[in-house]
Amino acid sequence: MQKFTRKHDYDGLLIVIEGTDGSGKSTQLELLKRFIEDKSYGVMVSEWKTSRLIADVIDEAKDRNLLNATTYSLLYAADFADRLENQIIPALKSGFIVLLDRYYYTALARDVVRGQDIEWVQNLYDFAPQPDLTFYLDMPVDVLLKRIIGTTGLDYYESGRDVGFSTDFYNSFEMYQNKCLEQYNWMKKEYGFKSIDGTKPIKEIHKIMNIEVQKILDSGILD
Amino acid sequence: MAKLTQTHELKGTLVCVEGIDGSGKSTQLNLLRDWLKSCGQDVLYTEWNSSPLISQTTKLAKKKNLLSPRTFSLLHAVDFADRLKQVIAPALKAGFIVLADRYAYTAFARDVARGVDPSWVRNVYDFAIKPDLSIYFDIDPKVAMERICFNRAPKFYEAGMDLKLSNDPYESYVIFQSRVIKEYKKMVKEYGLVKLDATDSIHSKQVKIREMLKTVLKAKGIEV
Repeated sequence: MQKFTRKHDYDGLLIVIEGTDGSGKSTQLELLKRFIEDKSYGVMVSEWKTSRLIADVIDEAKDRNLLNATTYSLLYAADFADRLENQIIPALKSGFIVLLDRYYYTALARDVVRGQDIEWVQNLYDFAPQPDLTFYLDMPVDVLLKRIIGTTGLDYYESGRDVGFSTDFYNSFEMYQNKCLEQYNWMKKEYGFKSIDGTKPIKEIHKIMNIEVQKILDSGILD
Repeated sequence: MAKLTQTHELKGTLVCVEGIDGSGKSTQLNLLRDWLKSCGQDVLYTEWNSSPLISQTTKLAKKKNLLSPRTFSLLHAVDFADRLKQVIAPALKAGFIVLADRYAYTAFARDVARGVDPSWVRNVYDFAIKPDLSIYFDIDPKVAMERICFNRAPKFYEAGMDLKLSNDPYESYVIFQSRVIKEYKKMVKEYGLVKLDATDSIHSKQVKIREMLKTVLKAKGIEV
């Protein structure tokens, strides 16, 4: 059965920005939000792992290293379900443009890299509507590494240390992110992402996104 | 795929009891545990919604009525997965008799009664190990209500008040638990749950359960 293809018929629009850690998603999301606001449309932003109740549990469990691959998948799915049902769908029903920093594609990449069966993950998220537009910020691993080391530093889970590829942070990060990228490269085609070269200047990426969003707005779907 | 329909090959033995609250399953499981321990068996007891990772959060969310049926379903799955991977599976590998007060079937019954898609929730629990013996205590919801609510009103979730079936908690309880029971009855066939009449005496149920368990253990070369 084809998964991740559940069309929604809400009045609003669901726009997703995907990409690995450090690919510039948040920056672009902020710019896109302002662009849409300037056009007098209602915008709502929701970020990955921000459900009021569950996000704290995930953070604490990660700090204490309590998660296995299955509880990791399920907790993120619970966080997603809570945000979807309490924030995202109500906003879509009211005709908002909902901008999302990450969507179920992130879970698919991370969970599959952690050894979960892809069909199991697809089914786990099958209750969620397919986005109207998904941007993907494509970044090579070597650029990502520099960006992350230069900003937040290497994090245990972002480096996939829990998966046990290597006890060396650098090696583990490289292997983990490469495996995530493999998943993204597959999904890019499978789910028709608008892939953008993430190494381009911020303004240029923003312009590409604006053009795509403008096309949808011009279609009059939200008028 | 679908481990819940495949016999496991671990050294230990997994027994679960199912049924709505007030069906007497915990009483039976406690008796079974004490007996097995007195026979010198290694026994491990595990309860629904008791993982240190998430159970307090789930309880808090229930108290505040914060979450949708699907989110609850996922939180219970987190709890179950945590116990399965950290407690149940290792104990089975080490040869313990694991006694589970409620198992994945509880989720299939309750979540579906709350409107969650049956095949979705079954897939969520796809990683569960098939028990060697699953006992379902069948009871009329009115009888169960008399047992647990003799000195208090039904609680919000056990009465399914979140579903707004009725404003009267007693009436809501009977409607909701009847739905849960309907789901359990389907699973008697689907998963081979052994149905026992909950209104039989404590003694006669315990005798039956011990007989069934002895047969299971004997097939694994264990005499009790």
